[in-house]
Amino acid sequence: MNCTEAQEKFADLLDGRLPEGGTADVRAHLASCPDCQRQYSSLAQTLAALDALPAAKPGPGLRKNFYAMLEEEKNSAASVAAAAARHRQAHRAVLWRWILAPLGAGALALGGFFAGTRYAPAPAMDAATKQEIASLRQRVDSVGQLVGMSLLQQRSTSERLQTVLATVDQKNPDQRMISNLIGALALDPSTNVRLSALDALYPHADQAFVRSGVLATLPREQNPLVQVAMIDFLVAARDREAVPELEKIVRNETIDRVVRDAARRGLAQL
Amino acid sequence: MPVITAYPEIRVDSTPFVVKSAPDAVDPATDTLTDHELMIAVRDGDLGALGELFERHHGPLYGFLVKLTNQRTAAEDIAQTVFQRMLKYRHTYRDDGSFTAWMYHLGRRCAADHFRKHNAAPAATDPASLQDHADDAPHAGDRAATRDDHALLHSALGRLDRDDREVLLLSRFQELSFAEIAAILECSVGAAKVRAHRALRELRDTYFRLQKEKPSLS
Repeated sequence: MNCTEAQEKFADLLDGRLPEGGTADVRAHLASCPDCQRQYSSLAQTLAALDALPAAKPGPGLRKNFYAMLEEEKNSAASVAAAAARHRQAHRAVLWRWILAPLGAGALALGGFFAGTRYAPAPAMDAATKQEIASLRQRVDSVGQLVGMSLLQQRSTSERLQTVLATVDQKNPDQRMISNLIGALALDPSTNVRLSALDALYPHADQAFVRSGVLATLPREQNPLVQVAMIDFLVAARDREAVPELEKIVRNETIDRVVRDAARRGLAQL
Repeated sequence: MPVITAYPEIRVDSTPFVVKSAPDAVDPATDTLTDHELMIAVRDGDLGALGELFERHHGPLYGFLVKLTNQRTAAEDIAQTVFQRMLKYRHTYRDDGSFTAWMYHLGRRCAADHFRKHNAAPAATDPASLQDHADDAPHAGDRAATRDDHALLHSALGRLDRDDREVLLLSRFQELSFAEIAAILECSVGAAKVRAHRALRELRDTYFRLQKEKPSLS
């Protein structure tokens, strides 16, 4: 080992972190080289002096200020935590009031209903009861229809279009299918599906509930293309009940001019 | 590097110089927790745990800052800011972190901010003012010589660049590995070692030159 190599290792030798093993060759060189000895000893002496510098002690202000600052932070952290807790509590109250409580009430009513049907003695069926059951069944059917509609919503646009077009091909679609078509006309996000649904409804325009369904959907419709098609449908069906709605459209200046023109023409024909 | 011949001879078979930073008195109740565990507790909301960390570390941190800045008041301000930032940025303390390295990292940043704000490099303190404090020399007879030696070294330290002073002081903290020092200085381990050694050589040159210039003091 020459002097340059040895002096490059001085840093390692002076650094107390390193194991002794890696420095044996430097020590061997040092033992035989007075020049490097002087270099090394001067560095070691400097470090010793540096390490021997008395540690300055801070004044009492540092500790006092630190604990004052810590207390302040603790208080503000506590107030933030309290505010967060209040917020969570308020959130829970809202959740309970608007969601969990109605759900709970519904579950209780359902439970009561099932318990009643299972354990209560079957009452003799009089005419009033039969009527009530019929109306209940109708409601259940309308729930089924809603579910059907929501299923209609979940499929892709082309699949929903297929469903609607399949309805057109049927010779005698049943009431539920027609309801689904009105549902699609009212709710489907795709313009194409709504227009197809309206086309599929043309053969059934003689049914009052189809006409009233289309009429009820008209104010909600935003697309001028579908609006005009609906107006044409109602005019073609000679639906006098559409007159007030069409007059409203003619008066409403925010509606597309093409739509208002169609409504005006329709009024003239009705 | 010029060959230096004027330095006094010293036995070379002495053991390496190891600094143990003097820890402050530690409360036995929390003594069992490591710095890291305490800081994790602070991060997770137990702010009181910072008190124990303050007691353990404010002394060495302050000592480091005094040597770095040569200004006692600035060192106190900066130390205060370091603990303030520990609270403020406690959420950034990492699970795999080293508390000491983090503290000196903050210390270095706070010192830089302090000097930027005051728009001035640290001025070398009149060494005489440093003698009013904490001089542990046991014998009155040794005192004058020791004082002079300390004053010379303070002067020599004050003449180093702040970056050099910083790396040299950090390298004397045995609880910091060079990997941690490199992380604090945001450089490679090799670069940190080279810088520390270069700073030591520079300090030595200045220190011995001052000793020669003022033979009456030594």
